[in-house]
Amino acid sequence: MQKEAAIREPLILGDKSYGDITDDIVGPIEGPAPRAWKIMITITGLIGLYGIGCITYLLGTGVGVWGLNKTVGWAWDITNFVWWVGIGHAGTLISAVLLLFRQKWRMAINRSAEAMTIFAVMMAAIFPGIHMGRIWVSYWVLPLPNQFGSLWVNFNSPLLWDVFAISTYFSVSLVFWYIGLIPDFATIRDRMKKPLPKKIYGILAFGWSGRAKNWTRFEEVSLVLAGVATPLVFSVHSIVSMDFATSVIPGWHTTIFPPYFVSGAVFSGFAMVLTLLLIMRKAMNLEAYVHVKHVEYMNIVIIVTGSIVGVAYLTELFISWYSGVEYESYAFINRFSGPYSWSYWIMMTCNVISPQLFWVKKWRRSLTFTFFMSIIVNIGMWFERYVIIVTSLHRDYDPSSWGEFHATPIDIGTFLGTIGIFLTLFLLFARFFPVLALNELKTILKSSGENFKKEH
Amino acid sequence: MAQTKRYFTGVPELKDAPAFREAAENEFTPTQTVDEFLSDNRLQETSTGRRDFLKFLGFSVGAATLAACETPVVKSIPYVNKPDQITPGIPNYYASTFYNGQDYGNVLVKTREGRPIFIKANKAEGVGYGAVNSRISQSVLELYDNTRLTGPMKGDTAISWSDLDKEVSAALQGATGKVAVVSGSVISPSTQRAINAFTERYQGRHVMVDSYSYNGIRRAHQATHGTDAIPQYRFDQAKVIVSINADFLGTWMTANKFTKDYGMRRKPEGAWMSQHIHFEGNMSTTGSNADERVAIKPSEEGLVAAALYNAIAGGASVNLPEKAAAAVKAAAAALKANRGESLVVAGSNDLNVQQLVNGINQALNNYGNTLDVSNPSRLYMGDDAAMASLVNDMKNGRVTALVVYGTNPSYTWYDAEGFNEALAKVKTTISFNGKADETGARCTYKAPDHHALEAWNDHMPFDGRVEIQQPTISPLFSTRYAQESLLTWAGDTTDYYTYMRQTHNAAYVADGMLTDESWNMAVYNGYFNTTASVQAVAAAEGADADAAAPAAAAFNAGAAISAVKAAAGKAGKYELSVYQKVSVGAGEHTPNPWAQELPDPVTKVTWDNYVTMSVADCEEMGLNTVIAQRDPASLVTVTAGDSKVTLPVFPTPGQKPGTIGIALGYGRGAGNENIGNAAYDIVGGMDGTLVMDENGKRVPRGQRAAGLVTEANGLPVYANTNVSIEKAEGTFALATTQMHHTIMGRDSIVKETTLGTFLAEKDKPKGQASFNENHVLITHDGEIPTKEFDMWNEHPIEVGHRWGMTIDLTTCTGCSACVTACHLENNVPVVGKDEVLRHRDMHWMRIDRFFSSKYRTVEETQEALEIGAIPAYIDMERPEENPETVHMPMMCQHCNHAPCETVCPVAATTHSNEGINQMTYNRCIGTRYCANNCPYKVRRFNWFNYIDFKKFQNTNPAQDSLARMVLNPDVTVRSRGVMEKCSLCVQRIQYGKLEAKKAGQPVADGAIETACAEACPTHAIQFGDLNDKNSGVRAISQNNRAYHALEEIGVQPNMYYMTKVRNKAENNA
Repeated sequence: MQKEAAIREPLILGDKSYGDITDDIVGPIEGPAPRAWKIMITITGLIGLYGIGCITYLLGTGVGVWGLNKTVGWAWDITNFVWWVGIGHAGTLISAVLLLFRQKWRMAINRSAEAMTIFAVMMAAIFPGIHMGRIWVSYWVLPLPNQFGSLWVNFNSPLLWDVFAISTYFSVSLVFWYIGLIPDFATIRDRMKKPLPKKIYGILAFGWSGRAKNWTRFEEVSLVLAGVATPLVFSVHSIVSMDFATSVIPGWHTTIFPPYFVSGAVFSGFAMVLTLLLIMRKAMNLEAYVHVKHVEYMNIVIIVTGSIVGVAYLTELFISWYSGVEYESYAFINRFSGPYSWSYWIMMTCNVISPQLFWVKKWRRSLTFTFFMSIIVNIGMWFERYVIIVTSLHRDYDPSSWGEFHATPIDIGTFLGTIGIFLTLFLLFARFFPVLALNELKTILKSSGENFKKEH
Repeated sequence: MAQTKRYFTGVPELKDAPAFREAAENEFTPTQTVDEFLSDNRLQETSTGRRDFLKFLGFSVGAATLAACETPVVKSIPYVNKPDQITPGIPNYYASTFYNGQDYGNVLVKTREGRPIFIKANKAEGVGYGAVNSRISQSVLELYDNTRLTGPMKGDTAISWSDLDKEVSAALQGATGKVAVVSGSVISPSTQRAINAFTERYQGRHVMVDSYSYNGIRRAHQATHGTDAIPQYRFDQAKVIVSINADFLGTWMTANKFTKDYGMRRKPEGAWMSQHIHFEGNMSTTGSNADERVAIKPSEEGLVAAALYNAIAGGASVNLPEKAAAAVKAAAAALKANRGESLVVAGSNDLNVQQLVNGINQALNNYGNTLDVSNPSRLYMGDDAAMASLVNDMKNGRVTALVVYGTNPSYTWYDAEGFNEALAKVKTTISFNGKADETGARCTYKAPDHHALEAWNDHMPFDGRVEIQQPTISPLFSTRYAQESLLTWAGDTTDYYTYMRQTHNAAYVADGMLTDESWNMAVYNGYFNTTASVQAVAAAEGADADAAAPAAAAFNAGAAISAVKAAAGKAGKYELSVYQKVSVGAGEHTPNPWAQELPDPVTKVTWDNYVTMSVADCEEMGLNTVIAQRDPASLVTVTAGDSKVTLPVFPTPGQKPGTIGIALGYGRGAGNENIGNAAYDIVGGMDGTLVMDENGKRVPRGQRAAGLVTEANGLPVYANTNVSIEKAEGTFALATTQMHHTIMGRDSIVKETTLGTFLAEKDKPKGQASFNENHVLITHDGEIPTKEFDMWNEHPIEVGHRWGMTIDLTTCTGCSACVTACHLENNVPVVGKDEVLRHRDMHWMRIDRFFSSKYRTVEETQEALEIGAIPAYIDMERPEENPETVHMPMMCQHCNHAPCETVCPVAATTHSNEGINQMTYNRCIGTRYCANNCPYKVRRFNWFNYIDFKKFQNTNPAQDSLARMVLNPDVTVRSRGVMEKCSLCVQRIQYGKLEAKKAGQPVADGAIETACAEACPTHAIQFGDLNDKNSGVRAISQNNRAYHALEEIGVQPNMYYMTKVRNKAENNA
């Protein structure tokens, strides 16, 4: 067992035994659903259904129900897509990269972060689908053998790279998450008294027996998957950014995009993890496992990635002037002084200025402040994509085609709907799945548990 | 299974008949030999004698000979058996003539499987009016109009033709002596003959009235030249053109011909380039093309004419604002330097102004050179004084039967209320109008005439020339020639074709030229020349020629000048100028959705009527000066005398402060007449239903402006020099296809120079002239041409064809004929106002109209550099008060390194080996990535299922069971969710290539033309094979004016633009 310096803040507070951990995490699954949960899932479910209604209307009528036009061919759809993909970055980063770096504090958050990743990527995947004019032939983007003659996909298209990147990322994340869940499912199975759930959890546990052999394989697979997932953390958003970076549109055509998008993604992903966890720890009495230290660690990641994003914004501005290209420089002048400058300044405030507040230790250890900031960061990151997509498109090369974009109620409904579906899925996860990696947590109890630190 | 079943071929086999057995044994049946059959004894057995044989022989030969004489087909009939010359899939073209009382053109009508689907110019040698504008092109849809009357009507009930004839004849009999025919200008001698026969029979009279009057010009010539005539103008002969508010490139008379002629002399490489000085209050298409445009008020039109007259013919100076006075001085100098080679025209219908203009042209010795009254134009014969007296007589019961033919005075006549009141007092009213329009609906009897595409006619645009209109389809409905109706009621049952032939046979007996053969040749050509005059031809029946116009007082310059001065003195704070709309004319095409969707060449507004007002005035009145998707226009109420209209205001650059403009042609169908839903407002949103008022009636688009015109000397003058304007409550959305009006210093999109600069550098090689320098990038290795920075694999561009286009910004007038032609040819959906407002118009080609702004570019303007880039760009978003204009046709540039092609995930848009960027609709999944990545923003997405979705039920002709007949069968109608764009008319290229292949020859230059190039009256757009060493486009593309728009981004288009050259001293833009 690893030893940890006593001076380090403990990661598990209070006098917890292995049994306590199991009780704390599996307990809520076994008991009846709390009233608050029922209320919340009703609300999120209704929002989700509204979104599904909007999407159904969109599919039945045409993409024209959104506010897009001949100049601005993408707006909220791809903004939402990139936003959700970005959010989906935190889970894998936490579970894979932090695993490789042996960051133990990840164990309290990785399960829910991964769940969030999976759900966020699912939400993200909705948009490229429904933004298509003809979703019923969307399978044409897959390089499938077909009877259309020699028709093949266009491997030059970044949109195709997206398809590969997102689908790979989604499958690896899902497998990674599920592997981690297996021992925990087995614990639930073993405790469960009701026959049907016992059966279901038994199936989900894949016959886990808890033998040393199981554990060895589990650790090996986790490490391998972490190795596979780590490059994906960087590749997914790099590739998403190439949708823009490889184009000719001023404001899109930028080599800085891949690192800028990846750090932005981590930035927003951590913010979303914080938003969800801060609620969950309160609602599910997990204060002992997810506490100020965890939040502080995550806030530090937010400062770092937020600063990278800020530097990227300033670099863009500098390069647009330094390039001497009139279209490029106008694109940026237009961003901060044109008709959509409000969105630029929202972005700058939320993403560049606000994370710097976390330099103050008191603030980055304040849960209320952190919760507030996590929302701000997510708003800022949504606007970052909106700024990149809409303000670049609405005034590109030919002034005769310069236009405007105005969102319709369907645009808004679709976006809110995905938030609703996302939260519904997350609530279901919180109700039926072990929200913390309890078996992993047990491995650090003796090195990082508060009482153990005191005793030794 | 045992072999117990036996199959037999028939009863004989079953019964084993001997005959069957015998036959079965003999494999080959014995044949009767020919010798046997024709053996002598058998012939002798027949009863046919030698004489009978000769009879039979004679009959057979006679019958066969007669059958070989083809009966001339004078009607178009739908075919059951395939007729000669009609092959499904192969278009037929028929030479014909378009005339609707206002526009006139020699056209070729394209038919497919018997359906006319396209109208293009007849450009054959010797054809005078061989140019189309968008109004002529779009008229083909009006044939397939569901709101046309399908048969004769009495009131609102259908009636048979025979009953109608009976009732009408009886009524006319009773009204003998009090019968009148009111028509548009009749230029057809046969029609005139029929009308004469009718008026003679019932002792009636015939009055002609135009929907937009040019009567002032006629009467002015009566005064100055003693002849009631409109001259033929020769814009191609004029080195200096001065126009005082005559929109001769847009709507003034035969603008299509004038544009063609004008364009011939707007080529800087030519022997000379005409100079065009324009005075006007509204910003018109013509004004936007002028080398020098001077903004004046309508009341100053007369003063400018007077000042110009005095400057040329000598006389005291006239008080004018400083700018206008200076411009008049310069214009006078230019005119004097080009005596006999200049032309002054005025758009005003004011008698005095026109007389002064005649005086100027006379003083400049232009008569006989650039304008001709000795053989005048026969168009626009409307006589407003005669019309006014007819209305008066109708009111007073002196006319008890009125026949309305091809005119709609209940809408177009300036005193429509007076006319309607008078019409109600006429006992018997008969309308030949094809629709129950404003006038038709008010008439008791509706005897609908054929549509022009269903009918024969002969037109004489000027003496010595007959131009034939031939039917291209059998009448769709139970309509009848108006001429036949008139003749029937006059007791003559000759069909109109025969009657028309008789006209010419009679007229040319002397010439001895009109044989059937020469007639057929004339039909083929679309025209024939004669030595006879219109009067002679029309009078062949013996009827009297048109009554002489009222004798006018002889021209007195002094009197005219004091009259215009007096008129100008009465001007108020705001002056109104009423103009015709390029898209809908004076209202002829208002119900045509294609016309409504066509952006105005200047404002780019679609679907609506509005007040044009200067930005300064808008600011003063607190009106919205920026019109965009969510920035609706402010409403104002314009009061002129007793008339009032409330309309949205479009802030128009170039509009003279203190003046406003309102277009004619809107507010049609105010009485809920069934004229077509495009004339009515449609509810926004997804419903697509019509707006209904509280009485359940449809609400017309815009308001009728004809009531705002004033009358002077018995002539409607399309201006009102004293109107009041008040801001009205509320706002009104105006749908424009272009929301940003300046070029923002992007001089690699539009290049322009002056004639002086151009001539000085004319011989410099391409890329070295100062006005069109090669684009270079500054690198650490020095300056390197943009083209050398390239990461792409080259397409094999020098092999085979490489289709391309050249577009000359100098000769493009923005007339929009190409936009309409493209719309027709390619089945482009009409999407309606709500969608245009959402910036989703579907035009495959558009004309970008850029106004000049304060600085040409930021980098080259000291003042801009001083204030800094950000404020400078904000300044540049605003057009100047009297800007210079560029019209830039823009469609897919067919880039050789197309950014759209790389980004499509499914390879739905690809490069053909002939240089075309092709769009495969079937493969498109609709990600719109290509459209985002298009630097020219020419890709159009099918946001909805335009051919079926309810939103477009009252908008898109393709949703109408009849109107969809106009769709081009060669072009796919796109479904929802796919991208579309200019295909370079690939269907035409394919057809042309196949024709060449059949002929075993290479494709000849000019054999293939895209719809836009074909429609362009000035040949600004040219299409061809850039790889063909001898092609026109290749030669032009090597001219030193040729450039690629946005060259520096390296997409290498196949489209070349030609630097705009303005004929003026220096570039002050």
